Amino acid sequence: MRKNKEKTYICTHETNLFYYFIMRNYLAYLAIAFLSAFLLSSCIKDELPNTECDIVSAWVEGAQYADNFYHPSQMRHDNISSSEREIVFTVRSLFSLPQRLPINFTITDGASIEPASGSEQDFTSGPVTYVVTSEDGAWKRQYTVTFKEANLPTYKFSFENYETIESNKNQYHEFYEVDQSGTRHYIWASGNPGAILTKYGSKAEEQPTYSTPNGYAGRGVCLNTQDAGQLGRMFGKPIAAGNLFMGRFILENVLLDALKATEFGRPIDRVPIRVTGYYKYQPGAVFTDKDMHEIADRTDEASIYAVFYRNKDSEGNDVFLYGDDVLTSPYIVRKAEVAALPPTSEWTRFEMFFEGDEVDEEILAAQGYNTTLVFSSSKEGASFEGAIGSELYIDEVEVSFEEPEND
Amino acid sequence: MKRNIIICLICSLLLASNALAANPEGKIEVIARAGYSIGGTTPLGIPATIRSVDAFRPTASLMAGADVKLALKNNWGLMTGLHFENKGMDTEVTTKGYRMELVKGDSRIEGLFTGHVKQEVTEWMLTLPVLATYSLGEKVTLKAGPYISVLLDKDFSGIASDGYLRQGNPTGPRINMGDKEGEWATYDFSDEMRNVQMGIAVGADWNVTHHFGLAADLTWGLTGVFNSDFKTVEQTLYPIYFTLSAYWSF
Repeated sequence: MRKNKEKTYICTHETNLFYYFIMRNYLAYLAIAFLSAFLLSSCIKDELPNTECDIVSAWVEGAQYADNFYHPSQMRHDNISSSEREIVFTVRSLFSLPQRLPINFTITDGASIEPASGSEQDFTSGPVTYVVTSEDGAWKRQYTVTFKEANLPTYKFSFENYETIESNKNQYHEFYEVDQSGTRHYIWASGNPGAILTKYGSKAEEQPTYSTPNGYAGRGVCLNTQDAGQLGRMFGKPIAAGNLFMGRFILENVLLDALKATEFGRPIDRVPIRVTGYYKYQPGAVFTDKDMHEIADRTDEASIYAVFYRNKDSEGNDVFLYGDDVLTSPYIVRKAEVAALPPTSEWTRFEMFFEGDEVDEEILAAQGYNTTLVFSSSKEGASFEGAIGSELYIDEVEVSFEEPEND
Repeated sequence: MKRNIIICLICSLLLASNALAANPEGKIEVIARAGYSIGGTTPLGIPATIRSVDAFRPTASLMAGADVKLALKNNWGLMTGLHFENKGMDTEVTTKGYRMELVKGDSRIEGLFTGHVKQEVTEWMLTLPVLATYSLGEKVTLKAGPYISVLLDKDFSGIASDGYLRQGNPTGPRINMGDKEGEWATYDFSDEMRNVQMGIAVGADWNVTHHFGLAADLTWGLTGVFNSDFKTVEQTLYPIYFTLSAYWSF
């Protein structure tokens, strides 16, 4: 009996020890797990190799090449936009271009470029393709470098030519002109690359600017003001007006300073006198301000204008006009605006004349002037004021250099 | 993860029930607690796309609640209760190529962000722990076991600024972001957060006087804070918090 009791006692004691042992290990295990989790999470890992593969700048080096250009600034391109695929050097004449030329590049840190930066390539027979590979080897971007003569390829714009660009499962149209040799010139830009940022899987015809088969003659352009969605509103850019202009759209700037995203102007060596074309316009129902508040007594208006301006400052630096000064810059020499574009559902002719100062022939000969043509479905679209649904169609636009005889 | 929770549950229930079976002493103690938590809603191992943690600010992570402790045989016991608490976090990190998605209504931007991210997490919840306890003498009681939390209010939002987003992939369009409203991007994944969290807790109660005591507890979430079908935040984030509290034993 006594033995039994003793045994029971020992047994219980053992059980107690057993529990204690498990419990202690359990706690120790947990403590170690917690500790290692914290240590792990407080560790910053080694930096991975870069994944980007951009050309940041491109330039022609060597005084012996300077004569091929109107101005030394045309020998280099800095701050090349991330959405750029084509780098164009403007030269006096393709005929006098050396057979082989070296182009230097700065690219993303650690990336490599093929053909090599500084290697001599033949640009006389068309574009040369460069491929940049990221430091981690996983990503590639393809660029073309082209040498072109300065002049606009045409002064009659029928908007028959467009490419469908795909970006992030969205599509949009990009307009181009073709010169006599068949080379494409991407002189037109629009806000489409900005408008698709917050979209997914959208079609080209759903963008603010697109090519329509229902032009005045053949194809034309449809510009329409759209709701930029809730993300657009978050960035203080609630609407996206349809626009088309001669120049570049610099996507990088679209959130920071949207007015700096539109860079207007292409070199021109003649003095434009007037612009004619055809349009249709219907303003959207509700005019809103940049906070999407309705302004009851306002009706949206379209805008069509053209500007002719000095493209160098007094120190010889390049001058471009942007959304914030395209109509007010001191470098503007002449401008033309269509006074009124009354709503119409029929193709209607418009005409506008350049007015302003005298043009300096010497500066003109030295490619010292730029011009731009601008179309927008909402006049104040650059400051995000307008009416969603405003629709402007344009087609058969022509720049003339003679005073009209008798219309 | 679910298996781990089940193992923990079984483990502690086994311990408790064995102790209960051995000799139910049956002394019931009611304990009221209040405390403050510090910790993070964090991946286990920071991804390489986070280059530095620039700031970590404590938030109003308060805890108040009551426990019932049932004393069992041989220093063992069982503790359960209900805690009202917040597991909050306010942190700033510098990223390089961190995958993120901005969603608002019908529009979204997805891509790789390099720059500054300010992240806020709030998780007000009711937590029910089921803990096995072991008393080391009169003063100290060790506790361990699973818990389950029901979220009452949740927020997971932040700001991406001072940098740029490459849309889609590293070759996509680059969008620069500034350092003020309208130039930066905000995101809000609150709706994607789980309503119920589970995890394990371990801690110790220290009786300073007969009624008054201090406690230290670690809670480790075994479920990520987001619904499992939510893929935008690539890493699974676990709430891991350390709580210091005072209690009164009745």
